[in-house]
Amino acid sequence: MTKPSVPVGIICSQSGPYQAMGREILKSAMMAVDEINTQTEFDFSIAPHVRDPRGIVSEYHTVCDDLIRNVGVAHIIGCYTSASRKQVLPIVERTDRLLWYPARYEGFECSDNVIYVGASPNHNVLPLVRYVLDNLSREIFCVGSNYVWTWETNRVTRELVSAADGHILAERLLELGESAVGHIVDEIVRRKPPIVFNTLVGSSSYDFIRAFHAGTKAAGLEIPMLSCSLCEPELAIVGPASAGCITSSAYFESIRLPENRAFVARWKARYGEDSSPSVDGQSAYVAVYLLARALQRAGSSDIAEVRRAAAGYRYNSPQGPVWIDGGNNHCVLTPRLAVSNPQGQFDIFWEADAPVKPDPYLTQLDVAVSPSRETSAGGALPNAPHLRVVK
Amino acid sequence: MSRPSSFSLRGRKALVAIKDERDASIVRRQFERLGIEGVAWTPTEPVDFAPDLSLIDDEFLPLLQPAQRAFLARSPVIALLGTETPSRLKLVFELDPASFLIKPLRSAGIYAALVMAFERNERTSELKQQILKLEHRLKSRRVVLAAVLQIMHLHALAEPAAFALIRKTAMEQRKTIEELSAEITAKGMLPRAAG
Repeated sequence: MTKPSVPVGIICSQSGPYQAMGREILKSAMMAVDEINTQTEFDFSIAPHVRDPRGIVSEYHTVCDDLIRNVGVAHIIGCYTSASRKQVLPIVERTDRLLWYPARYEGFECSDNVIYVGASPNHNVLPLVRYVLDNLSREIFCVGSNYVWTWETNRVTRELVSAADGHILAERLLELGESAVGHIVDEIVRRKPPIVFNTLVGSSSYDFIRAFHAGTKAAGLEIPMLSCSLCEPELAIVGPASAGCITSSAYFESIRLPENRAFVARWKARYGEDSSPSVDGQSAYVAVYLLARALQRAGSSDIAEVRRAAAGYRYNSPQGPVWIDGGNNHCVLTPRLAVSNPQGQFDIFWEADAPVKPDPYLTQLDVAVSPSRETSAGGALPNAPHLRVVK
Repeated sequence: MSRPSSFSLRGRKALVAIKDERDASIVRRQFERLGIEGVAWTPTEPVDFAPDLSLIDDEFLPLLQPAQRAFLARSPVIALLGTETPSRLKLVFELDPASFLIKPLRSAGIYAALVMAFERNERTSELKQQILKLEHRLKSRRVVLAAVLQIMHLHALAEPAAFALIRKTAMEQRKTIEELSAEITAKGMLPRAAG
């Protein structure tokens, strides 16, 4: 007997400045859909309806409207940038649908019509900046794309650095998709900052990393670079210049968990031995599974029932245990820090002892707390970042 | 001492006067996320604590008792607007709101309204302090002028030199020009520094 199907919208750009990440999100979401549709655990199948806004912000509104009005979806997975999510938000709220948003973002939002599956700022920015203050430097040179992710990430960074009596040496912003990065690299070579924090997105980031690597190498400089977004497929795009980037993320392909090993094996069987899953892609995969399990538990597509069924349900995902905090619709995740290696992978040197509650408004952040130490996973790095939360 | 950041709302206590239960539940949920304690209130009830902020539904307007208005004036007020008509806005003005929200409420916008209200209140307080200080100085001008005339007469100085002497003496004695001028007019001469 044919199982009933649930229409689910998938919105991700397959062209434009961040097309690489859009493709990763689509690949992961489709992999999850196909797995779920063959599993007897689920008494329904998912009918994916994919839309490509081509990286054009206004298109997100159009395709979302089409999915809701013409296809009748109650659940949508996708969007990558905050600008795209903000386009979709008014429609899903007005029509009472649920957006399952996979990307890590800058926080300061909490909608009842969005499940935030990616990392909150306390999952990625905080561990990274604490680590830098604790181990590397109190002076940071910031380079980023001129949009909300960078603005807010830099603000949080500035607060933490200032509280530690350090300072932001510079804040250089480029428009999304901008490739003229030479002047920033020249400035870095001239000023020799101890650390560069890269919050550029997509092609701008790839261009910058290559130019930064070439420029600092030619000048005989070794300046560590930080990132909250760099992932394995991007390391492959950038090439050898990407090695040595200290990155904060809830997911790396190198996570040593049985669930991840199985996930990576299935991924490579499907997309090729040379390909790698990414953090946002894996998050889209997690989003599809969280949705499917919630649909199964709720026995309905009704978003109130699905949201209720989804809250608190623990899923042993590739990145480890993940569950939705019913209080704010964001996911409980395990923060990790890693450094990229010449093989296009990340060597994890720290992870939180347990999954961390999302804090999208950074309500629990105490910027005045001085950096200190705690033990790291596997003891690989003695000087690990410490996250102090005020209870 | 630096003042607390308006972006961090954890630990604040708010008075919440909202009629519609759906709106009230949205505020409760958002407050929980932001670490704010909300205390439900109707303007007929007494209040036994000093709120950091008040959210007042325009359906409770007008507030007829001056005591209620005076009480609300002690902390920033966010008005919840149901309609944007001038007659309703006129009633809202009596609250002197630091920020506002449009009903029906959504979780989006509440954080911004709160931050705006705290920041606006802080800036208004600073401006009020500044105005008080300037008013005080304005009142003291007569005394300063009298002191300048006295020094001009006593030391046979021109007005700029007399004022410069008063200013220099005030700095040496770590007093304001107004304080020193009051002493000059009382004693009829430049007072000696204590100790």
